[in-house]
Amino acid sequence: MERDLARRALDTAKTRGASYADVRFVRRAAEDALVKNGALEAVDRRGSLGFAVRAIAEGAWGFAASQVVTAAEADRVAALAVEIARASAITKRADVRLAPVAAAVATYVTPVEIDPFALTLEDRLALLFAAEARLREQKGLRTTRASYGIWREEKLFLSSEGADIAQTITETGGGIAAEAAGNGELQIRSYPDGMRCQNQAGWEFLRDWDLAANAPRVAEEAVALLTAKQCPQDQVTSVILAGNQLSLQCHESCGHPIELDRALGSEAAFAGTSFLTPDKLGSFRYGSEQVNIRIDSTSPRGLGSFAYDDEGVPASEGWAVKDGIFTGYLMSRETAAALGKPSNGTMRADGWARLPLIRMTNVSVMPGTAGTLDELIASTDEGILMDTNRSWSIDDRRLNFQFGTEIGWEIKGGKRGAMLRNPTYTGITPEFWGSCDAVCSESEWVMWGTPNCGKGQPGQIGHTGHGAAPARFRNVRVGVVK
Amino acid sequence: MALFGQDELTRIAEAALRQATGDAAEAVVIARTGALTRFANAAIHQNVVSREVDLRVRVAVGKRVAVVATNRVDAEGIAQAARDASDLARLSPENERFAGIPEPRPIPVAPSAYRARTDAATPLDRARLAKVICDAALAKGLRAAGFVSTDTQELLVASSRGVRAYTPQTIAEAQAAVIGAEGSSFAQRVTLDVADCDAQAVADEAVAKALLAQKPRDHPLGPTEVVLEAYAVRDIVAFLGSQLTGMAVEEGRSFVGGKLGQTVTGPLTFTDDAYDPLGIPRPFDFEGQPTERLTLIEDGIARAVVYDPGSALRAGARPTGHALPPNRFTPASPMSLRLEAGDKSREELIRGVRRGVLVTRFWYTRWVHQLRTIVTGMTRDGVFAIEDGEIAYPVKNFRFTQSYHEALASVRGVGKDLSLLVPAEQFGLSAAWNRVPALHLGTFAFTGATQY
Repeated sequence: MERDLARRALDTAKTRGASYADVRFVRRAAEDALVKNGALEAVDRRGSLGFAVRAIAEGAWGFAASQVVTAAEADRVAALAVEIARASAITKRADVRLAPVAAAVATYVTPVEIDPFALTLEDRLALLFAAEARLREQKGLRTTRASYGIWREEKLFLSSEGADIAQTITETGGGIAAEAAGNGELQIRSYPDGMRCQNQAGWEFLRDWDLAANAPRVAEEAVALLTAKQCPQDQVTSVILAGNQLSLQCHESCGHPIELDRALGSEAAFAGTSFLTPDKLGSFRYGSEQVNIRIDSTSPRGLGSFAYDDEGVPASEGWAVKDGIFTGYLMSRETAAALGKPSNGTMRADGWARLPLIRMTNVSVMPGTAGTLDELIASTDEGILMDTNRSWSIDDRRLNFQFGTEIGWEIKGGKRGAMLRNPTYTGITPEFWGSCDAVCSESEWVMWGTPNCGKGQPGQIGHTGHGAAPARFRNVRVGVVK
Repeated sequence: MALFGQDELTRIAEAALRQATGDAAEAVVIARTGALTRFANAAIHQNVVSREVDLRVRVAVGKRVAVVATNRVDAEGIAQAARDASDLARLSPENERFAGIPEPRPIPVAPSAYRARTDAATPLDRARLAKVICDAALAKGLRAAGFVSTDTQELLVASSRGVRAYTPQTIAEAQAAVIGAEGSSFAQRVTLDVADCDAQAVADEAVAKALLAQKPRDHPLGPTEVVLEAYAVRDIVAFLGSQLTGMAVEEGRSFVGGKLGQTVTGPLTFTDDAYDPLGIPRPFDFEGQPTERLTLIEDGIARAVVYDPGSALRAGARPTGHALPPNRFTPASPMSLRLEAGDKSREELIRGVRRGVLVTRFWYTRWVHQLRTIVTGMTRDGVFAIEDGEIAYPVKNFRFTQSYHEALASVRGVGKDLSLLVPAEQFGLSAAWNRVPALHLGTFAFTGATQY
């Protein structure tokens, strides 16, 4: 039925004068649960279904969406999208142009080993209760948490150019956290990555992280942080970032600035622009020769993986940064046309009610040759190891950043030393990546995820993937917080 | 677009309550028609309308509780949600922290936040307002980026205990960054009535400031005397407000924990006032409970925090009618927080500074240390050196790392005009708003700079 309604909406849009139109039907199901301080604090299940029509008329864009799935509503929404496009045209400075794409007829389904929606609630909760109980074995904690989130999206995309693409995406995520408070301090340790660890995968993803086995260490570290040494203040030293922190560093300081809509000014009022302007493409030294960052919407388990984006452009792989040189943008059909290039397929919308935007797919720091984390530490005379993000901020051109992590350790003479609390570091993006002199090898590389990336007005939440291994950076300013 | 209306939302809620099979059930229906016309590079590039209804069904079976949300509000979808919530609650372990679905209490009358003209705004109406801003910028060789939006939102709460609460609200908003070759500015207006949403005023403010903002210079870092425009002050109020809750105190992360009756800021007063006729009045919370008007900080002295039933029960306090929809993170929040006005115009605040900085707004602010209210972020869209009480020249953007409540301890002047501002939507509607003045602070910690 949805396919029939989509065809009807396309016909209506064309009849009303659209030169191009596409229709997306999106059905979502999700469930979150939180066990907190020994009790099931929340179990929330959500479902939604709706559709949207995107149209170009008089050379300008219009978009309308509704959750009423009827023929009459398909007609109304398609006509409204065209009416909105005509209103947009009163400020038009040039007609919208789209890079060409072959019309695909295809299906895609996330490979999963254990369908999380097929498990019983009891089975899902058992994993949380077991892990959270292990946290509470530690004395001195104020708050303990264990949570999971499971998510499925079924999308149908049809365009006036003949595309007909059905995709089903499944994601699973979760984690544990322990908080300790006292003496004017509030400290947190979590595992595997704040509460943001999520992959495009089944329940096996969460099972394999073994939350219960890691809970005692996490709980002990949270309490130990209350009396740990403060991170040295306002010093310049070497920093080793754990893979989960490097993934967010990549997301914020590479993933966002390579969004071509930002670089062309479309997000100037909100998300901002980019220091990576088109004149820098292919020549700008973004980082050291150790830095290789890949755009890849085909990566297994990545939150940015699919077969086709929300404009019907096929998944692709390429380089954002190769041997330290900025070489590639994330593009849409419209922005790619502005550069005279084909789109590399990065447009995704947050559900049926929102417009597709350029979103990171999987933007990953590729492994280097520095071996394991222990080997990287052993080759570092002095510095700080920082693990698991706690605070993140970056300017609106993605240059000046400041991050804090949950925990740090001194490195002296090639050995991990005293624990440090409140670690922070700050820098300027190309200077920071330019100081990268070692990235750990493939054995340390993990596909992390950011399931909470905000962009757009009205606001949208994107799910993005970021593979990373630990890496070392020289001459980094640390300890901004007294 | 017409309202969905109280009758339609009541039909949805009551159908859910009829089919829920626990000891108690609650239905929250949020309806929204959101229209947003977005422009950049002086032309409309994104222009959207969506019409949405969400139903949240919460079912309690003794101390077992579960929530199911759906946007399928036909008979089958409602029945499925009610069944799922009932089944899920029975399957869930008991939660001793659950305080129950509350009984109805009388809800005071509040001024209406609904304006029919906003509800009736068309795509062409919004495009014309956008064009006013785009054209004003172009006329001065500048480019505008921003949006004009009109939203109609309805909230209905009903429960098997007898709660019935409904309110509609409209919000019209225009905001713009105006960008030149070497500097930018920002302006914003939020009103209930689209007829009051003055796009020309947004354009005038942003264009004038953008012309001043070109070719910014370097400026020394360190503790700096500042005047913060209302856009920046809203960020401080929102961060501190998030800690003025029973849950934040319980978890040991609130700056007022153990300090009620003690001085926590300079002589400033924070009032949560859901009845403020110049705000977006809504007299009840997401459990349909009457929202108390509360002075949370009075002349710098911590007086109160807000509670949902669960955090109130654990603290031995009474719920204050500030519950959010059930969620994993924050059960309650001061949603109508006003920082009370002072007696100075913006110009008088600037005149009170011998050497300092004027900040238009903050960007990408994040906790560094919640308990100490240390936040880091950037300045954005117009920063200026102040010398001898005058705006002297534009300066490059700063990074700050600053305890917000300690910054307020140094307050030297408070603006007499309050701006109505809204944060990003939560739970499918604009759940919160703030009214805030500009502030003159004696010290603010700029800890880094960027290149523009």
